[in-house]
Parts: sequence; C-alpha cells; structure tokens
Amino acid sequence: MSSPRRIAAVARVELARLLRTRMTFTLLLLVPALQVVLFGTAIRPQAARITVAIAAPSPQSATSVAADLARQPGLALVGGTLRPGEAEAMVRGGKALIGIEIPATRSFANPTVPLLPVRVIVDASNPALTTVAAPRIEAAYWRALAIRAEVETTGPGLRIERLYNPEERADWAFLPALAGVTVMIAMIMLGSLSLARERETGTWETLLSLPIGKGEALAGRLLPYTAIGTVQGVLVLAAGWLIFDMPMRGSAAALVALLPLFAAAHFAIGYAISARAATQLAALQGAVAFYLPAMLLSGFLYPFETLPPWAQAIGNGFPLTHFIDAARGAMLRGDSAASVLASGIPIVVALCLATVVALIAQGRRLD
Amino acid sequence: MTIAEHVVDVTGLAKDYAGRRVIEGVTLTLAPGEMIGLVGANGGGKTTTLRMLASLLRPDAGSGTVLGLPLGDRRLRHAIGYMTQRPALYPDLDVIENLRFRAAAHGVARPADCIAEVAENYGITDVLRTRVSALSGGWVRRVQFAATMIHAPRLLLLDEPTAGLDAATRRDIWGWLAALATEGCSIVVSTHDLVEAERCPAILHYHDGRAEGPLSPATLIAQSGQPTLEAAIVAQADSR
Repeated sequence: MSSPRRIAAVARVELARLLRTRMTFTLLLLVPALQVVLFGTAIRPQAARITVAIAAPSPQSATSVAADLARQPGLALVGGTLRPGEAEAMVRGGKALIGIEIPATRSFANPTVPLLPVRVIVDASNPALTTVAAPRIEAAYWRALAIRAEVETTGPGLRIERLYNPEERADWAFLPALAGVTVMIAMIMLGSLSLARERETGTWETLLSLPIGKGEALAGRLLPYTAIGTVQGVLVLAAGWLIFDMPMRGSAAALVALLPLFAAAHFAIGYAISARAATQLAALQGAVAFYLPAMLLSGFLYPFETLPPWAQAIGNGFPLTHFIDAARGAMLRGDSAASVLASGIPIVVALCLATVVALIAQGRRLD
Repeated sequence: MTIAEHVVDVTGLAKDYAGRRVIEGVTLTLAPGEMIGLVGANGGGKTTTLRMLASLLRPDAGSGTVLGLPLGDRRLRHAIGYMTQRPALYPDLDVIENLRFRAAAHGVARPADCIAEVAENYGITDVLRTRVSALSGGWVRRVQFAATMIHAPRLLLLDEPTAGLDAATRRDIWGWLAALATEGCSIVVSTHDLVEAERCPAILHYHDGRAEGPLSPATLIAQSGQPTLEAAIVAQADSR
C-alpha cells in the first residue's frame, strides 16, 4: 500500500539533494541557457551569407545580374570583376560557394557566337546551404531576363552545375562530419571521466604519490585514447565509403593523418575538464557544455555560413569546425593533401592549448 | 644520530582547511628502522600528517626533511611507499596488472622478479591472475600492501592499514610491519585500534587539533594513570 507520507519523504529528500548539488544548476540553467542563446540568436539557416562570384567576358555583361544578386538577402558578391573561368575556379578553390559564368552574348557585332547557357557552378558539398541559394540565383537570372524583355526561347538559358555532390545527397554532407562528431563526443567523454573517475574511486591519491609526472600521466592516457579515436574515425569514414558510396576524391591519407590530432585534442580538452571537476557527473556535464555548442556552431547541424559573425568566430575555435571542412574537402571536393592538412593547424593549436590547461589544472597535490 | 641520518625530521607542521587550522604542532623525527603510530579521534589530523609527509599536501606552517629532502620535493616519491585508506588499486584489472603498473611507475629494474617476491612475501601468489574487483576486502588490502612495497621503499606511510579487516589479516600486517622495521624500513602508521597501536614503540597522539609526542605507549599510560593505552586516550578525550 503506497503511503503519501513516504512518497512525500522521498520527494523532500530528493529535492533537498537536488538543490544542494551545484551541478543541478548547470543541468537546469546553464545548458538550457546555452541552447536558448544558440538557437535563438545563432542558428539561422535561412540567413545564410552565401558567397557568389560572377565572371563574364566583359564587365557590362555581368552588371545587371550582379546588381540584382547584390539586392538578394543572404548573397554576397565576392571577387569583383572576373574573367571567364575565374568564377568556377573560385568555387573549386573554396573561395565562393556559387560561381556564375556568363557566356559571350550574340549581337550584331558577333553574330556567330554560339548560344551557350549561363553556367551556375554550385559547391554542393553542403546541400543544406546551397539548396537555399540556388533558387535565388535562378530567380534573379530570370528576373534579369524579363527586365531585358528576353524570353526563355531566345535567351541563353541557365544551367546549374552542382559540384562534388550533384544529387545533393544529405548523407554525403553528414557522413564526413559525423566522423568528427563521433570522435569528438567519445574522446571528450572519456577524457572528462579519466581523472574524475580516479578521484571518485580513490586511486587518484595513490597516483599522486607515485613518481609519475603530470606530463607522463597525460601522455600515457593520450596514447591509447588517441589510437582508439583514430580507429573509430576511420571506421565511420569506411562505413560511409562502403555503405553509403561516399566518394574519396582527395587525400584520404591526409584526412586519416588528421584523426589522431583531432582525437588527442578532444581527449586533452576532456582531461582538462576532468582535472577541475569534483565528480564524474560534473565532468560529464562539462563535456556536454563543450560539445553541444561545438555541434551547433561547427557546420555539422547547420551550415557554418548561416551563422552570424560572432557565432562563426566562436565556431572557428572548435576543432570540429576545421575537421568537418577537411573531411568534406578530402571526400567530396577532392582537396589536396596540403589543403586537408592545413585544417590541422587550428586542431594542433587546440591540442596544445588544451594540453597546457590540462597540465596546469591537474595539480601535483591534493590541496 | 645526526639530522642527515633521520628518515623523517619535521618540526611544527600545521595545516589549514577553509581558513581554519585543523592540525598543528606536528614534530617528529624518525630514524631508519623506527616505527611510529599516529592515534587520535576521527578528523584529528592523522591522514593530513601522512599526506604532508608524502608531499601530497603543502604544510601551512613548519618545515623539515624526509629522506634528506625538503618536504614537497618530487624526488621523495621514488623512495616513499604510501598506502591510503581508500582503495588504491584498479578494480577492473588483475592483481598482477596492478603490480606491473606500480613496478613500472617506480622504474623497478626487474619487475617480474619483484612481483614474484612481493607476492610471495605477502601471500598473494594465488590471486595474481584474479580481478581485483573479485577479491574480498582483506585480500585487496594484502594486494595493496604488496603494491606499496614493490619498490622496496625506505619509508612507509600507512593510513589505517588494518581498518575493517579480520583478525588474521590484521595480525599478518602487523607482523609484516615489524619485520620491515627490523630490516631498516621506517614506518609511520595511523590507526584507530589502540590495542594495535601498542605495538608501535612510539606514538604521536592527536587531540584538540594538536599532535603530542612522540611518546612510548608505556609513558602515555603511566602519565594518564590508566591501565591501558585505550583507557588513557579515552580519558584524555573525556577531560576536554
């Protein structure tokens, strides 16, 4: 027979314990506050700032299209006046998301010029971003033709070419990024549990009494976890390749070479959290507080270009942002090894910073 | 004996927690092969003293040397054997894996030989391949003691090594301590068990936030006019 008094007693004790635990406030206030801020102010998928480059045989040819595009919200013209072929080169070089190649037009002076379509070259490695932009470009084009009283049959037409992911497959956009996300979550969780678990189980005090230096303790933990994280990342990439037909057009070796750095950076971040956390639960909350914004501001869930500048600045601080760019570059865009490895520089910086913080936070004594 | 020959030579150690002085007046000298017991009420400062000697806590007052090195010197960790009251072994590893880790941490030259030796000395040969989590409390403490001895430390710091153990294991541990002292190992051991504490030639008694002594148990008993050490300590506590 249930007793209301017993239920009330349990509820009272539970509430008292809840209110006296500092991490309750993290769970109930900090994490929701973080979500409100990010979803309320930073996540704006429709507010993408999509870079567009326009190339034409003469500046005049580009003027009307450029003027109309410039009025479109979320589109930003880059590269100035470009010569034929340069807009496509900017897309392939990662400097613009969309390139418009306007062909030479037939006129009385050039009556033999073939009627070629206007080519719109789209970086479709992140379809979530470009599927929003391409229709705008298309609408702008037809509007420009209408203003000039041209019609489809007499105008040169518009041809949209989607590079890297012609079918705009969402899985192709997510899988390279997923390799980074899975490694990030696993490493940061394991790192954040490492010292906190030692402290809770009682082995921490003994460890401190042993002649193991702080650097040795960190390096000794980094080695196996880095290997595990690398294998995990390779498995996700391999699954994408084998099961989802993900292409690997660029340097796979360079991408795999980034994985240990990426895994080590996140383990070190988790370790730094662990060094300051009193309990395993508190450490896990610290891990969540790190990887939640990382997932939102890295381009994994929402295109990076849709974020406001302040959110992009924060996003650039997360190693995940750079890994996702490298992974999409290596798998979809066919980036060279040098280009992929260049994304490793901010990851190495994050690893170094996290290592320094972890070593300082770890301490050599109990006080 | 000169100061340099003292294994432990500390004067006036004190420690504050949250702005409050919890222990002061820890003055202690220990020669090779000497054993001293730390006795007193819970929260009296016994563990804090051991932690200060093991360089795990920085004293807020006082100074001294351990094994000829200043307190806090990292080199001390090579020569000290520190056994905590809480479990210090990885429960998800086998006994031998725990011992290998300790041997490697101390840079023991021939780890396999050392492990075999401590396993033999402390009667854990049969459980070397057993997962620590599968052992009873008494066996865990035996393994913990063996792990503490893996590098043949010159100074043993033991925090309640016999707490919660059966009579046979307690007897074994005190027997090992006596043998180690005979071999020249210096020992500082904290205990709640005042009957066991009488096995120590000298005692540092913690009460009212101060450490008094060291005195021999016989002297402490004589000063109190009580029949046993336990009665002497209880009488002192009641007089506060």
